[in-house]
Amino acid sequence: MGWLIFDRPQAGNAMDAAMLDELESAWRDLDADPDVRVIVNTGEGGAFQTGLDVVQLNRDPDALRKQSGRTRRAELRLTAWHNQVWKPVVAAVNGTCAGGGLHFVADADIVIASSNAQFLDPHVSVGQVSAYETSGLARRMPFEAVMRMALVGRYERMSAERALALGMISQVVDPPERLRDEAQTLAEKIARNSPAAMAATKRALWGALEQGLTDACKAGAKELVSMWGHPDQLEGPQAFAEKRDPVWSVSGGPPAGPTANLPRGTRDV
Amino acid sequence: MYDCLKIERHGPVGWLINDRPERLNAMNNAMRDEFADAWLELDADPAVRVIVHTGEGKAFQTGADVVELASDGVGMERYRESIEQFDLRFTSWHNHVWKPVITAVNGICAGGGFHWVADADVVIAASDAQFFDPHVSVGQVAAYELIGLARRMPFEAVMRMALVGRYERMSAERALALGMISQVVDPPERLRDEAQTLAEKIARNSPAAMAATKRALWGALEQGLTDACKAGAKELVSMWGHPDQLEGPQAFAEKRDPVWSVPAGRSIPG
Repeated sequence: MGWLIFDRPQAGNAMDAAMLDELESAWRDLDADPDVRVIVNTGEGGAFQTGLDVVQLNRDPDALRKQSGRTRRAELRLTAWHNQVWKPVVAAVNGTCAGGGLHFVADADIVIASSNAQFLDPHVSVGQVSAYETSGLARRMPFEAVMRMALVGRYERMSAERALALGMISQVVDPPERLRDEAQTLAEKIARNSPAAMAATKRALWGALEQGLTDACKAGAKELVSMWGHPDQLEGPQAFAEKRDPVWSVSGGPPAGPTANLPRGTRDV
Repeated sequence: MYDCLKIERHGPVGWLINDRPERLNAMNNAMRDEFADAWLELDADPAVRVIVHTGEGKAFQTGADVVELASDGVGMERYRESIEQFDLRFTSWHNHVWKPVITAVNGICAGGGFHWVADADVVIAASDAQFFDPHVSVGQVAAYELIGLARRMPFEAVMRMALVGRYERMSAERALALGMISQVVDPPERLRDEAQTLAEKIARNSPAAMAATKRALWGALEQGLTDACKAGAKELVSMWGHPDQLEGPQAFAEKRDPVWSVPAGRSIPG
């Protein structure tokens, strides 16, 4: 298991220029490490993630110039999705998730939260536009709830329970202190599955958010067929028949899949 | 002036009220034309920051007025051109209104009434509200409203409503559980008060930022995720240098309400 933990608890884990740089290399390191099958993303302290560090933005806007350019060009590198990580990613929301923190909810494969987690999007309350995070969220949960969060801004918060009811998250952990244990347990279940099959499945499902239903099925068919002849396809049924855990083939780095279905441009390393 | 609608203003909130309660707020020719005028009037009024849409009586809206359809010799043909061209002007979305719109469903919402659920930003309902789509029960096709709904809530629930027609109704509680609406108001008499309270919260946010956010999110329903993010980036960057972006953080630091710049005229860009 690889853990990516936001560690600026004194600042609500807000992203300053240093964290923005570190996020990109952290995703890349975890993705390249063959011992890491599943990645869990959480935060230290009372907040999960509260978006761009507005204190630094006010004090030293030049430090965030690189980020501004990336925002302008739609080339963010904050999340697993931005960085084309095809290993399973579990977001474990440990407290307040505000504004840009929603990036890590919108772009995770699986999201769980502690019972005291709260979700809000204060962008429009400080004269900012909410676009990326909420556009992503609107693909994975009812639109109205996303639009309400985007327009009510900081004057309302969504509870973990409501997020569960809406399908924005799939598990509420109570007491909150058990969040990391539960995330580890879930990630270990996921880690029992074929890495190559999960990567192709991720590409198929994320790719499906890019296009209409019929085109998504056609692109998904390519991912499906890409696994035929892979050693995991023999090992899986054999281990099942022999009532033992399968031994999956693990290549260094993410399994290669058809590039045609990749939603974003090639990664600029 | 309007015969079938009422327009009210309460503080920063503009109200559009369906006002044919004797016909369950069904839409006749006159009401259809008035909708376009009313949305444009509220959108163009700089004093209106947020719009709430509700109905008089026990229904919110029940679609086209079938009595008029059946009796005036024109029937559904009156809608042929606008439907074939997709040039409807019923809803805020049809009319490119980029101010926040709350639909407050005060009772029965049937058939064409779903236009204003599918096309609103935020939807709340009285606890006695009921939702159903009787189109196929009277030999009509349900298309626009349900295509819009299917983008914003679970598909199965929409398809069930479309195919069961008038033989089943969805409760406000179920609509809440499905995320079709975000709030159930009980007792029902408190619906307008709660809508006003919610609208006033929204009215505290930057009008320019909300308009750009609406364009980004509604635009995201039009294309794939990556393209939607790219288009959203343009909306996002469009606010950089806007006075609200200085005023917002400054007001926050000074612990006071921000004073937003209010664009005059329609919220439509360019």
